Order: sequence, then C-alpha cells, then structure tokens
Amino acid sequence: MDWNGFAGNVLYVDLSAGELESRPLSRDLCEQYIGGLGGCIRLAYENITPGTEPLAPENPVIIGAGPLVGTSVPASSRVYGMTRLPQSRSVGWCGAGGVNFGAFMKYAGFDFLVITGKSDRPVYLDITGDAPVIRDAGSLWGMGVEDACRALWEKHGRPAGVLGIGQAGENQAAYAMAFVDRLSTMGRGGFGAVMGAKNLKAVIARGMNGITVADRKAYKKLTKDLFENIRNYPYLKEWQDLGLMKSLPIISKEEYSEAKVRRMACVSCPIGDKDIIRVSGLIATSSSAMNLYVPTIFGMKDHKEAVTLMTMLDGFAMDMFEFFAAVGFAGDLAVAGIISSDEATPPIDLTKFESMKIWAEKTAYRQGLGDLIARGLDAILERCGPEAAPYLPYKVKGMMPYAGPKAPLPWNLFGTMELGQILDPRGPHVGSGGSPTYFAQRPLEVFPKHLKRMGVPDDALDRILPGWREGAPTDLNIGRLLKYSHRWFTILGSLGVCARAQINRFYNYDLCSDLYQAVTGIPAQGSDLGDRADAAWALLKIINMREGFGRKDEEPPAKWFEEPPFCNYLTGKPITPGEVGVMIREYYAEQGWNPETGAPAMPAD
Amino acid sequence: MGKFLISIDAASCTGCMKCGLACSELYHRAFNPLLARIRVIVKGEEAEISFTEECTECGVCVDQCFYGALSKTPRES
Ligand code: SF4
Ligand code: SF4
Ligand code: SF4
Repeated sequence: MDWNGFAGNVLYVDLSAGELESRPLSRDLCEQYIGGLGGCIRLAYENITPGTEPLAPENPVIIGAGPLVGTSVPASSRVYGMTRLPQSRSVGWCGAGGVNFGAFMKYAGFDFLVITGKSDRPVYLDITGDAPVIRDAGSLWGMGVEDACRALWEKHGRPAGVLGIGQAGENQAAYAMAFVDRLSTMGRGGFGAVMGAKNLKAVIARGMNGITVADRKAYKKLTKDLFENIRNYPYLKEWQDLGLMKSLPIISKEEYSEAKVRRMACVSCPIGDKDIIRVSGLIATSSSAMNLYVPTIFGMKDHKEAVTLMTMLDGFAMDMFEFFAAVGFAGDLAVAGIISSDEATPPIDLTKFESMKIWAEKTAYRQGLGDLIARGLDAILERCGPEAAPYLPYKVKGMMPYAGPKAPLPWNLFGTMELGQILDPRGPHVGSGGSPTYFAQRPLEVFPKHLKRMGVPDDALDRILPGWREGAPTDLNIGRLLKYSHRWFTILGSLGVCARAQINRFYNYDLCSDLYQAVTGIPAQGSDLGDRADAAWALLKIINMREGFGRKDEEPPAKWFEEPPFCNYLTGKPITPGEVGVMIREYYAEQGWNPETGAPAMPAD
Repeated sequence: MGKFLISIDAASCTGCMKCGLACSELYHRAFNPLLARIRVIVKGEEAEISFTEECTECGVCVDQCFYGALSKTPRES
C-alpha cells in the first residue's frame, strides 16, 4: 500500500526470543485513531493483557509518532509511548518533544514500535541500517543519558535519534524516565523503569526513506500561511530568546542570557525552547533551562549547585518532581522519628546540595533508604504505616500532582489543568489539561475565541460558558471544559504536533483537520477528527478500567482543601470536595460516559 | 553557480532541520533532511552546517530558517 504521512510499518520486537518482525501498518488504526498518540492507545488496547505487571516481560513498550511527524509542519515532532507504568500502575501515555527521534524513526520506516519480552543481557535496538537489529549494550549499561547518547552517536554517526535511559531506569526506580536525544523527558511514572526491566538501554533510529504528502498543493498553501503567521508573531523573537523562561521566569533574564550557550529545537520547530547552558564552567543540556533551576524552588540557594544536581538527576533519567516528593517525604518522616536517623544518614535536606547529591545517587542506585525512596510515595507510606500519612505531599495514583497551592508549581486556581490531575487516566499530569484557564483569571469574554480554536462546538459552549452568545459569559464550567482540553491534546498528539503554549496557539481545529487530510489523504471532514480523538481518549479510559481503576481512584487528595486550599477559578473562594465531585460528574457527562462510574461505552471490536 | 550566495551563522543554529526538510521536499518530493543538500550536525554544544556538491544555491532552505543561522545575498548576474 502507498502511504502518505505514515511510514507504513509497525516494528514488533520480542526481546526474550531476540525476534524482530516488521508488519504493515493497519489502515483501520489510522482512520479510526488518527495515528501517533491515538495509534499508541489502540496498540496498547490490543497488546496489553489486563493484569500484566508493569515490570513483567509481557508489558509492552509502545512508541509512536503521528502522521505529520517528519514533515515540515511547524513543531510536528512529538513522540508518544504507552506502557503500564510502575509508579501509578496505570496504563499511561508518555510524551516528549521528539527532537530528532520521532522523525528519524519514521525515516527508518516505522510509525510504531511494540517491544515486549526481556533480554537476558543489556541491549539496544538499532534501526539505523537496512534491517533493525538488537545489539549488545554491555558497554553502555551503567552510563548516564548524555554519555550513552554520545557513545551511540560516535558508533552510528550523527545525526540519529536516540531514546534512552539512565541508571535509574536500569535499576528500575519507579519514577525513572526515558530521554529523547538527551534533551526531552519522556514518561513520568516509570517509562524508563519498564525499559530497564527489559534490559533495553536505548533505541537509535535513522533512515533514508522520505515522508510524502498526499496533496502537495493544499499542503503548500496551508504551511505557507502557517509559516507567515509564525513569522509575524510579535513575540517570536522573545520566545526564541527566552524559551520557557518567558512564561515561568525562575531566574532573571540577565542571568539566563549569560548562561545560555545554544538554543535547541526539535525537528521542524520554529520556536524551540530546549537549552544548552553553561554555569561556572559546567555545561548542562535540558528540555528547558527552567528545569535546571528547579532545586531553587525547594530552597537550594546556590544556582551552580542547583544546576549540578539537576544534571545528575537528568543523567540518571529520574523524574525530578517525584524524586523531590519522595525524598522530601522520607526526610519529613526522619525528622518526625518515623524513619530512624541511622537509616536517614546523611540527614535529608532539600536545601543542601551535599545532602541531595548523596540521596540522588542512593536513589538511582537503590542503596539503603534510597531503595525505598526509589519505590515512590506509596511504598514509603506502606512501610511506615498510617502515622506517616499526615506528612504525605499531595498524592494521586501513587504520584504527586505537581500543580497546587503547596506544590512545586504553586498554582492555586482550580482550572482544567488542576482538575485534569485527577481525571487523566494516566495519573497526575498537567500536560493533557491545557485550556485558557492556564492563564490565571483571564476575563471570560476572551474564552469563546480560544475555545472555538480548540474545536468546542457551539452547543457545548452553551454548557461551558452560559451567556457567551450575548458576549457576556456568566459562568465557566471547568468539568465540561476539561473534555475539550483532553480532546485537543489528543488531536495534537495523534497528529504529532507539540502542545506547548507557544506552538499550540498557531493551530486550530479546522487547520488540524485540513493538515491531516492534505498529508495523509484520509478524509477528515466536519467533526471527524474530534470524534476520533474522543474515541482514542475513551479507549485510554477503558484500558485503565480493565486494570481495575474506577471512580474511587479519581478522588481529589484531601490536602487540596486544607490551608492553603485550591480556589474556585472565577470567585477565588476555596473549593470544596462537593464542588469537585460535581465537576467530575459533569466531565463524565460531557464525555458521554456513565456519570456515576465514568465508564465509556466499549468499542465495537 | 546559483542565484544566491549563502552565509552561515552556525552559532544561531538550533538543529531544527527546517532547512533540510524544505530542500529534500523540493528536490525529492519527500521530507527527510538526510536527503537534503544542506547538512546540519549538532555535536555537543557545537553545530556544523555544510552544503553538498549538488547544492544549487537556490536559497529555499534560507527562507525556512527561523533562527537567522542562514542568510542569502543575490549574486551579480
Ligand atoms: S516547543 Fe519545544 S518541545 Fe515543542 S517542538 Fe519546539 S522545541 Fe520541541
Ligand atoms: S540552497 Fe537550495 S539546493 Fe542548496 S541546500 Fe538550500 S535548498 Fe537545497
Ligand atoms: S540552519 Fe536554520 S533551519 Fe537549518 S537547522 Fe539550523 S536553525 Fe534550523
């Protein structure tokens, strides 16, 4: 079959048997679930047997890139993964800015990889040559992400895309991630641990196939207009200069420009936000320099020490938020005498580099108390018993929701991202819950324009923003709006477009439909694309219900209502558990799911 | 000799490969920067940009660079 947009193949790898098989991509999968994120969800539905333990060989690592990835559509770089995650135990989407990896996987001939089994020794998957090969990774095992990438590039040549893990993944720490081309993080909740459990250090990809588009004329027109819009964006230069520091300035502009060595961007991205910086002679690469200063949020004063610690965590490929949550929890329990001071030696102090450096190592290598910390919040709670509960940070599905009045992202208004932390089936993540509520207390009058851009139909707008037709909205229904956040996220992710604010603003629902059709040749009229995204998101929910997740797992943490509490987005008054309960019901109802249980209808096959 | 003289400012290059995507589509009707006549390689903190012998200096890649790493001046006819 001739494919446009898609590479046309799925690579199945069985690491136990050492077998690789390329199978043709299913046209049905693309037509029903768009591709990329939607395709990964469908493959997870087919390939994850309910009850599979996250670290068991049978749990597949599924990786995919959507039909626009590899084309010149701006910022169409996204890579997605699906697996059963060890920390949340949910079957979760994992996403990353694809840097080179997503596009290069497609140039190598594959839209998706489905990797099962467990190798009897460390290996990496090489898809840079004529045929994919499983290769020995003995010399890479034990290396941090940066060193492993460099070694693979030295061996296989540059450019090539590398998805790889660090020591935390090798040692199956519950919140180990994977990194894409050493720059993007992928898989909160333990995607890296699942790779580690398979003895899979990395996947390296490059190929000489080209991605074609079905309707070149339409494609040229659509992308020409899009490029012009971006070129004319008044804040283009500022975004390019500052990256994520523009919206979340963790250090001064002056300090940042002094540290900046090079701006990096994913393939096709005109507003890149990845960083290489130098601080007192230390070179650090990151998905954003902002992340490198996160330890300052926890009280570490010296910026070089903060960056050094983050470079260690990134090298180990360990999720910083979960690490700080777990190590902070253990530290508080040690102060309270619930964990003995012998075990908690040296004393755990998030403000001190010398302490954190040792605890980062102990955690990644699972030594002493570090082993418990590496297993995450639930494991600590289980060992220490109910007397530890008062010291817990916010917790949803075993993980820390990192937006909240007392969370690292100290947002106190309850918008879609905040509610999404309990309603995304993968567990707490703000990535899928984007909407205009991201900008605190924007006037409601600007909402219709943004919601229409996300594809919210007029009849839904009546429910979400009553009074909008008269130009004077009187209320905002966060629960119902979240359905469309999830839908928009699924559309962008399934196409392969980056959802970051500076990118997403140039896209709208109709443009996405038009691009999909021009690139793939698959018709996408009317509400089709939204329906397909809804089907994919519902399937994600169904996959998780198969694993036993239900309404009980979507309760907000009690601490969200303690001082200082989350507040109503419009009134600024503290929210109550009852209000959140109503939002959850309304979310389910807007999705067309059972309003009590949250169960979607089962798919036909 | 092509229409343009192309200059490179590798310090501004982000490795986004928009240049190579445009060139490959123009000459191969398929996207893949590895098929392009411009080569961008990021190694550590450095970026290297070069052109293959087949480059016609048509300047299309320059128009796609959003970061000022490529620029063009018309050649005297
Ligand atoms: S905005 Fe950042 S993550 Fe998104 S495509 Fe651009 S460089 Fe990649
Ligand atoms: S000048 Fe033209 S031929 Fe040369 S690399 Fe650029 S687009 Fe390709
Ligand atoms: S030269 Fe410009 S378009 Fe090409 S990779 Fe560098 S920044 Fe991107």
